[in-house]
Amino acid sequence: MLDSGQEETDLATAAPPRGEEEIQWGFIGWLKGQLEGLQAYSLLTGRTFRNVLARPFYGGDTMLQMDSLGVGSLPIVLMTGFFTGAVMALQLSATLAQYGQIQRTGQLVALSIVRELGPVLTGLMVAARNAAGMASELGSMVVTEQVDAMRALGTDPIKKLATPRLLATISMTFSLTIIADLCGLIGGYLYAILALRLDGRQYWYTAMQALGATDMAQGLLKPVVFGIIIATVACYFGMSARGGTRGVGRATTQAVVSASVLIILTDFLLSRVLIGFFGA
Amino acid sequence: MADAPIEIEFDNVSITLGATPVLRGLSLRVRRGETKVLLGESGAGKSVALKLAIGLLRPDQGRVIVLGEPVSTMPEAALYRLRRRIGIVFQESALFDSLTVRDNVAYRLDEEHAMDLEAIDARVRACLAAVELEEVMDKFPAELSGGMQRRVAIARALATEPEIMLFDSPTGGLDPITATNIMEQIIRLRDVNHVTSLLVTHRLQDAAMLAAYRWDAEHNALRPADGMSAHTSFLVLHDQHAVFDGSAAELHASTQPYVQHFLQI
Ligand SMILES: Nc1ncnc2c1ncn2[C@@H]1O[C@H](COP(=O)(O)OP(=O)(O)OP(=O)(O)O)[C@@H](O)[C@H]1O
Ligand SMILES: [Mg+2]
Repeated sequence: MLDSGQEETDLATAAPPRGEEEIQWGFIGWLKGQLEGLQAYSLLTGRTFRNVLARPFYGGDTMLQMDSLGVGSLPIVLMTGFFTGAVMALQLSATLAQYGQIQRTGQLVALSIVRELGPVLTGLMVAARNAAGMASELGSMVVTEQVDAMRALGTDPIKKLATPRLLATISMTFSLTIIADLCGLIGGYLYAILALRLDGRQYWYTAMQALGATDMAQGLLKPVVFGIIIATVACYFGMSARGGTRGVGRATTQAVVSASVLIILTDFLLSRVLIGFFGA
Repeated sequence: MADAPIEIEFDNVSITLGATPVLRGLSLRVRRGETKVLLGESGAGKSVALKLAIGLLRPDQGRVIVLGEPVSTMPEAALYRLRRRIGIVFQESALFDSLTVRDNVAYRLDEEHAMDLEAIDARVRACLAAVELEEVMDKFPAELSGGMQRRVAIARALATEPEIMLFDSPTGGLDPITATNIMEQIIRLRDVNHVTSLLVTHRLQDAAMLAAYRWDAEHNALRPADGMSAHTSFLVLHDQHAVFDGSAAELHASTQPYVQHFLQI
């Protein structure tokens, strides 16, 4: 709370133009802050993972998180998956038609959904909905000293708050991605038979033929990594919230933005590495 | 009790938070069964001192020793065990807002799985009865007034029957009658259970009451101390250090300018 008061005065007395030297120091200070943040993030992530195997295991808290995350995100993931599949069929069939290959629509829809769009869009949806929820919940607990109270009452907040969220986010992002993939394929299928008048059996046949082990590996590994990113980033920003309600708002925004950007970045890197590893 | 063991000790403790030095070279000692009242104006570092005592903050310099354990240097995992013997009431109560009053008070007992449910419920009821709040068991903290939340926080801290209590403004924002009742309970903890405490207060009348009364276990009532030791001493924080540390009589006789100024307002 004191922090936010401080910031208010900073804003009110709008900063005077800075000299060149100051800007340089400002940059180094900024860089130092970022590195310290990265260090704190790594420490928190490490402790969150270590506690997966530590006693006591908060099964109840994990189930509660899985429920709010999985069941709560189901409708948006169903919708996103379905319409993405449909729009992919729409867009890809137009291009394929130019080459007289429209019967391969199923194949391309399947590849793009399973490899990329299913995991990434599910990741982004879960990030938008749940990274925000987790960061604001943990942030409020920090600024109202509930996290301190928890420590004073002998509970490790990492174990009680972060680890269950990590486990729930990984398992739910994984399951939701599979559901999104299926919905995407169904969306593409419906568009193919209803609008493109393609043969439904051929759609499924080309789709299943196209999906190899590499595609499955990519499609199933990505959501695990995205789940880790979402949970750890949300817990980090939530746990480091400072300065009252405004601080919580800021932490929430930062969590969603950072998780989303990291998902897209990691998606590229993972695709590159996995394709290098398995071949395209 | 002058030779009772020292249960809380700060040895030359300094801490800086952000860019502000909050405490510089603070030393204090509290013996078993004694209450040390921390006085000082807003921002003097009283709450920080309590958080140092339970290891929520670590000093930059100096040592904090509680119940013979080096709180300032021991690993967090060991602290979790030690904290079973230390209760703390936060200034803003800090109740878990997604748990009912019952679950808040029972929190530590529920976590430990060491007592059966009935025993826990009985303990919770007894703790809430001590702060006259049995009827709100199933409510959520947000449904209670600030003063009621404070009393629930006291009940939660008492649930594990700690040997040491840290009270941060236990009577802040309470009406005079409830405040007096709470102070009575604190005096009883001191004189009947011989709980060692650090108590922060903004109300000088609380401090005066602690020094002037003792709990008569025989008649189960508050009695004037009448020259008997009330096991209470005072520490005045100012300018990041203790400007006074001593008994009630010494406090009133003190010629330290800040203490005189502080007592006059
Ligand atoms: N987490 C923190 N980060 C930075 N500074 C802090 C933090 N907590 C406390 N401070 C600073 O430490 C100083 C002492 O704070 P503290 O809360 O101990 O005061 P206090 O004596 O309890 O005051 P009050 O009587 O108002 O409760 C204040 O100047 C405050 O700005
Ligand atoms: Mg305070």
